[in-house]
Amino acid sequence: MLEVSHLSKVFVSGKNKVKAVDDVSFVVNRGEIVGLLGPNGAGKTTTIKSVLGITRPSAGSIKVGGFDPFAEPSKALSLVAAVLEGSRNIYWRMTTWENIVFFAGIHGVSHKIEKNYFDHLIETFKLVDKRSTEVRQLSQGMKQKVAICCALVKKTPLVFLDEPTVGLDIETSYELRGILKELAATEARTMVVSSHDMAVIQDICQRVIIMSGGRVIADDKIDDLLAVFRSRNYKIAIGKVLDNDVVEHLRKRFNDVEVQLRERKTNITINLPSAGDLYALMDFLREHNIDLETINQQDPDLEKAFVALVRKERERCNGNS
Amino acid sequence: MQRQLIAFQAVLFRNVIELKRYAFNTISMLVSLYVMFMILFFGLQRLGGAALAAGDTLEGLLVGYLLWTMAIMAYSELSWDLNAQAQVGTLEQLYISPIGFGRLNAYSLLCNLVLQFGYAAIILAVLMVSTGKYLHVDLVSIVPLFIVTLMSAYGVGFAVGGLALIYKRIQAFFSIFQFVFLAFLTLPWAQFPWARFLPLSMGNALLREVMIHGRRIWELDPTHLMVLVGTGVFYLALGIMAFAWSERIARDKGLLGHY
Ligand SMILES: Nc1ncnc2c1ncn2[C@@H]1O[C@H](COP(=O)(O)OP(=O)(O)O)[C@@H](O)[C@H]1O
Ligand SMILES: [Mg+2]
Repeated sequence: MLEVSHLSKVFVSGKNKVKAVDDVSFVVNRGEIVGLLGPNGAGKTTTIKSVLGITRPSAGSIKVGGFDPFAEPSKALSLVAAVLEGSRNIYWRMTTWENIVFFAGIHGVSHKIEKNYFDHLIETFKLVDKRSTEVRQLSQGMKQKVAICCALVKKTPLVFLDEPTVGLDIETSYELRGILKELAATEARTMVVSSHDMAVIQDICQRVIIMSGGRVIADDKIDDLLAVFRSRNYKIAIGKVLDNDVVEHLRKRFNDVEVQLRERKTNITINLPSAGDLYALMDFLREHNIDLETINQQDPDLEKAFVALVRKERERCNGNS
Repeated sequence: MQRQLIAFQAVLFRNVIELKRYAFNTISMLVSLYVMFMILFFGLQRLGGAALAAGDTLEGLLVGYLLWTMAIMAYSELSWDLNAQAQVGTLEQLYISPIGFGRLNAYSLLCNLVLQFGYAAIILAVLMVSTGKYLHVDLVSIVPLFIVTLMSAYGVGFAVGGLALIYKRIQAFFSIFQFVFLAFLTLPWAQFPWARFLPLSMGNALLREVMIHGRRIWELDPTHLMVLVGTGVFYLALGIMAFAWSERIARDKGLLGHY
């Protein structure tokens, strides 16, 4: 459905050069719901705008359903719809329904033929009683819902949502995520959802591409990514206070250890990259005559994975330059 | 074909809605255009012939004013509206339409051209009644003349609109063109022979012949008509080329949105 290979974009303004996207490659298959996760400035929007043909890449190639968006724009664009970040995307002086009719229309989709589907979307997004309200009178969250509706009514196989929940309060963001999740499940569409908020991606997508500093630093099924981190982090409780030299020992022996000494117990959080490390830990505890009270794998958390990956990538970059 | 029709209807739909929502703005624009003209007209009438440039008449003033307002309306859709849409982000949505931004824009200009003829008719009728100066309104002759004359105004609009894509904050510069258009209309050919090749200039002269002296379009000097068509096509083509060039820069710099 979408093929991005070796995409790079350097913005030049005067003497300033910003490498917004740096050799990014990925493939999105039909029916996938893919998250594009990364901190602000990671290059998500620039990647999406390049795919849409509104920002010209410095290098690399893009194929949307087999078509290059710059060489054959009308063929490539007939397959995509997008809600772009931070812009209004819709006309504030027009009503919800009028915006929907217009944006479907400029995609060649007639509201007369597709009325049932339009109504269904309006219902799904809980906009029924805002149908004839001018968009400028709607709340931020509702405006965003209208904008998403205006993209979906085009009935394209591929949809981009760039930061769909940015600027929304927690409750609205949560509601919107629910709706998007439902849509992703019920509609046979390919979606690319970008966000700097992992909760959003974790909620909606099956696969995540993590970007940082213009590069892809991970591209995996969310479950797999979580599994990797699940198998590494352990929480251990011990029924006594460990001696300082034992703690020192432990810190020397294992890289990533956090020790909290409590009144009559010790909590250890430890990162054990491989099964061998786990056995090593067991041996260590036996050698020092320490009894385990509990050992738990920590809850998987995309946020931790994300932060760790981004940190590693930054260190790598700093090491290079 | 079907898709084109649907897209055209959508653009028409949007433009008519905007017309309704902005009715107050439209009416106040028409009223201020009316008041401005009446001040000009009675001022010049008081001062008498001395204030009028050679060969100029109050009827001539009426024709020139009408053309000037139409030129500004044509021009402002491409400058103000485009700039506003780039700022809020609807422009990007137009750019990702498979119909193509060029087509959508052309549809919109076409719809609004019809509207502008409507406004012009209202202004003309009210002004004729208010001033007691009646012009020949021979639609067969004046509609094509207006359209070809306005092509050069659209050309200027495209060029300026393109610049506005790249330099977001040049709105102040937009209004200067009201005076530039005025200069195009008033530069006397006797002193500046090349002035007839400027946008609007030849159209203004021919419209006077038709509207004041009652000549039909086929009675006009064919060389003049050729100059009119030639300049119209030239400025429009130049404007569109300038726009395409700006568009490319905007794509390179990622400026079609509001970065
Ligand atoms: N039009 C532009 N001109 C110059 N720099 C830009 C432009 N758009 C984005 N950038 C820069 O490129 C980098 C990536 O931006 P962006 O793609 O918007 O990231 P994200 O969407 O992940 O937050 C940022 O450093 C940003 O400042
Ligand atoms: Mg972004």
